[in-house]
Amino acid sequence: MNCQLCQKEFESYLRGSLPEGITIQVKAHLESCKTCAQSYQLMAIADRIMDEEKSMQSNPFLVTRIMSAIEEPEQNREGFSLTAVFQKVLKPFLISASLAAAIFAGVVFGNLSLPTTSSDLPVELSYMNDSALESVDLFSKL
Amino acid sequence: MTDNDIIAQIVQGDRNLFRKLVEKYQSMVFRTCMGFLHHKDDADDLTQEVFIQTYQTLPAFKGDASFSTWIYRITVNASLNKIRKSQKNQFLQRLESVLGSDTGKEYSIPIADADNPENILISSEHREWVQRALNSLPENQRTAIVLSKYDDLSQKEIASIMNTTEGAVEALIQRAKSNLREKLSALQKKKKK
Repeated sequence: MNCQLCQKEFESYLRGSLPEGITIQVKAHLESCKTCAQSYQLMAIADRIMDEEKSMQSNPFLVTRIMSAIEEPEQNREGFSLTAVFQKVLKPFLISASLAAAIFAGVVFGNLSLPTTSSDLPVELSYMNDSALESVDLFSKL
Repeated sequence: MTDNDIIAQIVQGDRNLFRKLVEKYQSMVFRTCMGFLHHKDDADDLTQEVFIQTYQTLPAFKGDASFSTWIYRITVNASLNKIRKSQKNQFLQRLESVLGSDTGKEYSIPIADADNPENILISSEHREWVQRALNSLPENQRTAIVLSKYDDLSQKEIASIMNTTEGAVEALIQRAKSNLREKLSALQKKKKK
C-alpha cells in the first residue's frame, strides 16, 4: 500500500469500518511510514476535537430566548437599541477618534522638541540681545 | 402533524407553534453553528439569529425542498456571513486587545484530562490547530466538511443543501480532508521549529 491510498483510508481505519484485509495493510503501512503515521495521529486528534465540539449542548434556555425574541416588538429586533447603536457606530467612531487624536498629539509634541532652523532670535529674546545697539569697539576708542 | 402543516398554521398566525420547530431543529442548527464558529456562546447567539430569520422568512417557504434542507441553508449562510463580518472586524478587535479592553475569547470546551497540566496544554494547542486549519479552508470545502462531520449528513443531503451534485460534494470533502492534513502538518512543523 502506498501513502496516498493509506491516507485515503484514514477515516475508515479510525472508525474501524474497513475490511480486515485492508485494515492489516493500513496498519502495516503506518508502522513502516513515519510521515503517514504522523499524519494519521493528527487526523485522529482532529477527529476527536470535532467529536467533542459536536457533542456540546446548546443553552437549555435557548428555546425560551428564541420565543421571547420573536414576541418582542419588531423595532427591538432590528437593533435600534442604544446598545446596538453604541456597538455599531459609536464604538468604532470613538476608537478611530482617539487614535487620530493620539497621532495628532504625537506629531505636535514631537515637533516641539525639534531645534529651530531659523537664525532669527525669538521676539522674547530680542530685548536681551544688545549687540545691535552700540559696539564695544566704540567705547574702547573713547 | 408534519413540518409543512406546522408552517402553514404559523403563517396563518399561530406563533406559538414555532416552538415545536425550534425544539425539533435546535440541536441540529446549534451543531452546524458550532462547526463553523467553534465557540459555544457564539453558536448559541447564532442559533437564535437563525431561528429569528427562519421565522421572519417562513411565508417565503414554498415546500420545494424539505424544511430541514431550508433551515440548513439559512444556518450555513448565516454562519458564513458571521465569519465574513468577524474577519472585517478583525482590525478593530486587534485594536481593542492592544488597548486592553478585550480579554480575548477562551476556548469553551472542557478538556478531557483536566488533571494533567501537560495534557491540558497539548489539548488546547491541538484544539487551536484544528480550528485554525478548519477556518483556513475555502468556504465551500468548509461547508461540506462541517455538514459531513458535525451533522453526519449523506453526500446526497449535502448536495441538496449546497445546490450541487453528489460528485462535487465528494470531491469537496476529499479536498477539505487533504487540505486539513496539510495545514495540520504545517502547524505541527512550525511548532517544532
